[in-house]
Amino acid sequence: MTVGLATTLSGSLAQLGQDAERGVELAIADLNAKGGVLGKQVKLATEDNQVTPATGTANARSLVLQHKAVALFGPISSAVAAAEQTVAAQYKVPLIDFMANDAGLQTKTFSKYSLQVVPNTTMEPRAAADYLATKSAGKPITIGTFAPDYSFGHDSVSGFIDALNALHVNYKLVNQQYPPLGETNIAPFLSKLVAVAPDYVYNAQYGNDLVTFTKQAQKYNFFDKTTVIAMYGVQELGELGDQIPAGTIDFNRAPFWVMGDTVTPFVNEYKAKYGQLPPEWSLLGYTAVQTWAAGAKKAGDFDGTKVADALSGATIPTIRGNITLRSCDNQAEIPEYVGVLTDTPDQKYGVPLWQPGSAFTAPFDKISTSC
Amino acid sequence: MRTLILDVVGILATAGSLFIVSSGLTLVFGAMRLINVAHGSFYMLGAFVMTTVAANSAGARFWVAVAAATVVVAVLSVVVEVSVMRRIYASDHLTHLLATFAVSLIVADLALRVWGSGGRSVREPSVATGAVSLGGATFPAYDLVLIAAAFAVGLGLWLLLTRTPFGWRIRAAVDDPELLSCTGTRLSLLRTGVFMLGAALAAFAGALVSPQVTVAPGMDTAIIVSAFIVAVIGGLGSIPGAALGALIIGVAETLGASYAPSWSSSFMYLAMIAVLVMLPSGLLGRAER
Repeated sequence: MTVGLATTLSGSLAQLGQDAERGVELAIADLNAKGGVLGKQVKLATEDNQVTPATGTANARSLVLQHKAVALFGPISSAVAAAEQTVAAQYKVPLIDFMANDAGLQTKTFSKYSLQVVPNTTMEPRAAADYLATKSAGKPITIGTFAPDYSFGHDSVSGFIDALNALHVNYKLVNQQYPPLGETNIAPFLSKLVAVAPDYVYNAQYGNDLVTFTKQAQKYNFFDKTTVIAMYGVQELGELGDQIPAGTIDFNRAPFWVMGDTVTPFVNEYKAKYGQLPPEWSLLGYTAVQTWAAGAKKAGDFDGTKVADALSGATIPTIRGNITLRSCDNQAEIPEYVGVLTDTPDQKYGVPLWQPGSAFTAPFDKISTSC
Repeated sequence: MRTLILDVVGILATAGSLFIVSSGLTLVFGAMRLINVAHGSFYMLGAFVMTTVAANSAGARFWVAVAAATVVVAVLSVVVEVSVMRRIYASDHLTHLLATFAVSLIVADLALRVWGSGGRSVREPSVATGAVSLGGATFPAYDLVLIAAAFAVGLGLWLLLTRTPFGWRIRAAVDDPELLSCTGTRLSLLRTGVFMLGAALAAFAGALVSPQVTVAPGMDTAIIVSAFIVAVIGGLGSIPGAALGALIIGVAETLGASYAPSWSSSFMYLAMIAVLVMLPSGLLGRAER
């Protein structure tokens, strides 16, 4: 039985795609070791969409029609995910997004075949805003934003500003920049933020773009005056090495180091197989496969419609504990996590992660919007 | 004043790195009428070789690594020129585009296999570490290295093209390659030399920007668009045009980031369209014969 991963494996997002692929592969290997799903071994077919919606559509179609994939695991870019959703709905195959997280995927382009096991662009910035509201405690603050110039970046920033307003944070928005995704020369954009030196900058970049931002911002001594709020993961922190900006507020979709003992076996297995700690994308990819497998078992069938119906409103046992897929939009009821970066190695994992005691879990019902 | 200083330094640093990479692209087009889409691949390879040689050394090894990256990529470019380019010079531009695009895809795949999909970092040299304060503005000291390097490349290319026999032959090849070959000049050798020089400039730029960026797959496609826009604005084949084009892009991006942040990435395309509408051969370019 074949499942498909239609993601990005080349270009500036190649690392994220590889992280996702590893998580999906590991989950499938574990399923197969336990006898497969409904007695059948599971095989993975992967295709590279090059961050292009048109290629994503062609790949999703190829996975369904040629590889006979009974389920699809989604891409990195929300724009590509929206394109793949069309194919999933057309061929009645469940598409489980675990990286692309635009809230519009579960509203504007939603069909019952679309499922999302990652906090969306409403929940994620809301969690960061919650943290900031507590930290600023009503004092006046200045805010800047920095985000990749595509739907995710704009939606994430809008979500953050909306959340600040909803929380009545006493802020003044002093500068907003939208460099292109994958842009290596961000000096023209960054220098504008440096000139106004906000108290806080909400940065919706990720992967190599965020590392580039951090390296260039440090050359302006930017972190001395400004607290950045951004999505640093294991990969980004590893690439920064001794250049980690301690004190930065970090929001993370699946930080294994604060998710409790339930994820420990996965962390150990991942480390043994790949020789590194699991990035959040791997953990989310693993969860996505578990979600599909649980749906197929519940439906007693691989038929896409039956699996999608079985998953809607279901509670699924995963490596991160039980997660429920909200029946109205198939959004997983999971939290977002926030913490503060440190440059001191974590006692348990031996690499710098978050300052002890700084972790904050933003519960789903507090950061999500109702259907 | 503070903002003005930040803008000026930012514009010059942006323009500087763009000029170095674009000058190689425009030099190759000017001398050989070759549209080289693989130029970004040489830029990316320069950065990757830089990360391998420099590791995290911030001392003199940084400059050794810059030189090594430039030389290694220059040698690789000779292999590409002899095995692929030499066979397609007489073909039309579409063939050039397809062949160099194929080369860029092959290089991207090879780079992915050699260096992996992860990002890599390089430390800036110890002489340019940290920030410089001037007139209340704080900017990266390394920006001054990029600006100085761009001036050095510009001066070096001017001297090469106007003061050396190699440069005279390049300029003659632009004007009339057939007549030049009648003088006993080996055109094939000259073309190899020009292609190698263009690739070396791309690699030099890639190595130089590596402390400021995350060196990773995708650098090639990201830079080739900007490099082409710079070269087209300045006029394909014109080195001073590349300098002017780089400056215009630097100004357009900086002003865009100031006055229309959510549209800023469109500004360089608008600048290119505006120039092409008024001057189809670019600001300092000549119409193709």
